[in-house]
Amino acid sequence: MTTRPEPLFSRPLVPLANEEDAEVTCGVAFPRIAATDGRAYVVHVIEKAGGAPDKAGVEQREELAEDVFDIARRAADAADIELETDLRFDTDVGDAILDAASEVDASAIVFTPRGGRSWWDIFSGDVRDRLIRKSDRPVVVLPGDDVELESGSETEPDGETDGEK
Amino acid sequence: MTDEELAKDLGPLAALTIGIGTMIGAGIFVLPGAAVLQAGPLAAAAFVLGGVIALLTAASASELGTAMPKSGGAYYYINHALGPLFGSVAGWGNWMGLAFASAFYMTGFGQYVVTFLAVPSLVIGGITISGVKLVALAGGSLFVFVNYVGAKETGRLQNAIVIILLGILAVFTVFGLLNADLAKLRPFVPPDKGVSPLLPVTGLIFVSYLGFVQITSVAEEIKNPGKNLPRAVLGSVIIVTAVYALVLVTVLAAVDNSVVAGNDTAVVDVARILIGPVGAAAMLFGGLLATASSANASILASSRINFAMGRDRIVSKELNEIHPRFGTPYRSIAITGGFILAFILLADVGTLANAGSVLHLIIYGLLNVSLVVMRIADPDDYQPDYRVPLYPFTPILGAITSFALIAFFADTIVLLAVGFVVFAMLWYAVYARGQATKQGILGKYVLQRSEEMPAAAVSATTSVQPDGGYRVMVPLANPASERDLVTLGGSVAKANNGTLVGVHIVQVPDQTALESARTEYDFAEADELLEQARLDADELDVDIETHTVLSHRSFEEVFDAAETYGADLVVMGWGPDSHGAPGRAESAIEEMTSTLPYDVLVLKDRGFDPSEVLVPTAGGPDSDLSASIALVLKEFYDANVTLLHVADDKRQGEAFLSEWAEERGLGDATLAVETGDVETAIESHARDKSLLVIGATERGLLSRLVRGTLVLDVVDDVDCSVLLAERTRKRSLRERLFG
Repeated sequence: MTTRPEPLFSRPLVPLANEEDAEVTCGVAFPRIAATDGRAYVVHVIEKAGGAPDKAGVEQREELAEDVFDIARRAADAADIELETDLRFDTDVGDAILDAASEVDASAIVFTPRGGRSWWDIFSGDVRDRLIRKSDRPVVVLPGDDVELESGSETEPDGETDGEK
Repeated sequence: MTDEELAKDLGPLAALTIGIGTMIGAGIFVLPGAAVLQAGPLAAAAFVLGGVIALLTAASASELGTAMPKSGGAYYYINHALGPLFGSVAGWGNWMGLAFASAFYMTGFGQYVVTFLAVPSLVIGGITISGVKLVALAGGSLFVFVNYVGAKETGRLQNAIVIILLGILAVFTVFGLLNADLAKLRPFVPPDKGVSPLLPVTGLIFVSYLGFVQITSVAEEIKNPGKNLPRAVLGSVIIVTAVYALVLVTVLAAVDNSVVAGNDTAVVDVARILIGPVGAAAMLFGGLLATASSANASILASSRINFAMGRDRIVSKELNEIHPRFGTPYRSIAITGGFILAFILLADVGTLANAGSVLHLIIYGLLNVSLVVMRIADPDDYQPDYRVPLYPFTPILGAITSFALIAFFADTIVLLAVGFVVFAMLWYAVYARGQATKQGILGKYVLQRSEEMPAAAVSATTSVQPDGGYRVMVPLANPASERDLVTLGGSVAKANNGTLVGVHIVQVPDQTALESARTEYDFAEADELLEQARLDADELDVDIETHTVLSHRSFEEVFDAAETYGADLVVMGWGPDSHGAPGRAESAIEEMTSTLPYDVLVLKDRGFDPSEVLVPTAGGPDSDLSASIALVLKEFYDANVTLLHVADDKRQGEAFLSEWAEERGLGDATLAVETGDVETAIESHARDKSLLVIGATERGLLSRLVRGTLVLDVVDDVDCSVLLAERTRKRSLRERLFG
């Protein structure tokens, strides 16, 4: 735990699950990081089955990770902040995010909720609950849908071009 | 642990159980009845023969797998070695082969379920769907669903399922051996038929040996693949062959052949006789586990193959989108699932097994051929940790036996196989060839040595090369300018991940027939020139293929060659001895050059030095090409780029030029705006430059160049090298660079 008060957005860790999540989360988080003159750490976790075949190939998901990081890099350029990316492999996405956060001593873990709780959370495990319950640093949940109000004019066209790719 | 170790988390046991779990499926539970009906106790030999054929291919798959532990496995190796034409056959074959096999496993699953659960038939619109098929459809849907939402627990179950399965079969075998009566195995060969049913029955049961290749499709996830991959691939085939042989001998020696022959759930009935109801229940349970794990692993493997096919653009990349929540390649799984359900509905159990086997046999044959190609071409990055024993006999025998076994299937199945190969090749020709970018090792090998290879082989290879990649053709004539042209063309090719095509045109006097010239001419000079081009291309680390063309024409032949070799850009020299004297038919040249389907760069070479580049522009498509060339020179040679615009009004000119530069990614270039005479401005700015890149301001640059009527005197008035750029009206370099 930090003993001196540090701005939440000075160097937060931003976990990104997929391209859409990257678009939305970077869009709402990065302007706030820029406002405190901070830098962003983004992490993407490739979930491993831990000794059994994965549900999708590693090379396939490494390509996805690169696409996700590309979105983050563009958003960081637009917000004019420093960015570091971290690709992790773990059997537990929540643990990997917590590890990444403590490694860089992040000022907070920032994410946007991905839809409501759904019945299929029993299949995928609920990363969000794990982060909130187990994190030893602040967890900031940003409303994802104010992206249009905050910086919609910048992120929306980006999203369009990326979708065509 | 490093990321590498975390990404590769399949241990030796997990890898082995993927192979065993996929192979021990419906084959041993469903097919002994049909096999014994046809061949009596000889059926056991058919299972062993199938194992031997599989083992030959398993050796090749192991070597290729340790050299290239990539997602997609067999498809990847074949595409890599033999190019995308055969890659298309292998990819579609493996994909559909797995769908047929999964449909077969599920139908077997259905047959097992209906033995203890009466499932009524369903009649829809006059069509009856049997209870077996209903169960198969339900089971198939379940496993497609499980893979669609990606429950990671199913993967972990695999180890447990395989161990339970082997345990059940072991107990069964022990009981059988205790009751064995070897006399029941005689006559081993059916007296009325002899050994003739052996090969047809091997074909029938071959569906029991489809799993080992699926290990290679997850090769990238295997820990220490150099050691564990061959162990898993070869080990699973050996273990499975032994299990099949033991189970079959047990079944045949312990009970009367009549119990087994023609019985779809023979092993269950034998277990009931030998062990009692508990045995029958255990075998039933084993059959359900086996068919389920086979189908599950096959659906999983097919999505890896789809990914690798999409990466090489054999199929649309759209197919491989990952689900935002489930993290699964859901489209690929859904479509594979659709095929599986359709196959269950449309075909009977025998056809499903045969179709799955035949398609896999095609892949097995191609795998062995790929191994031979890789060994002969021996590219630098081919460093397998495991090497096939007794090369070249093992892979050659593997290829022959795999292809030959296809002949022993029923005519309709053989026809299906042939039709399928034709379909996959047409698919490549019509769809994938325009998309695919990856060239096979075989194609590279042939085209790099096109002078030594038979002409037919070269032309066949050329005609099936993928043309989705960017191709830069450099006609080479003069050794003095060869290096500069290859360097320039190679840089542009490299910037586009493309291929350089070096063409040497040998002009033959009209009196000499081309055919006799081919044998009479001394090609030493041509060989030397092309060899030098290959070395220079290697230095740039860009792919090159080379061709020697005999022609009665010289300059005009450049345009024919550009068409023949599918060039997107032609980079040619221009000088007294560049390409001989132009032919007489000037009007033909004019016609030819007015609508070129590719970009053209003409280098007036006074020493190629891209350090200080001047690009005059008045806007327009040809200076777009100049801009993209300048960008390439900047990227590869740190060129200082100066943009020059001559305008009536200086301020307007500056505004235009800075916007123009920004749009073309040249925002950091030096900008110069002049008023007055265009040519004077260019000349004065070119004085301290090393290269002038100038767009043809009017159409027909080339024809005027040839006739010596070029209006731009500037080309002769400056001291530096000049690069003239004429852009095609079709697709352009710029669109490729920025699009």
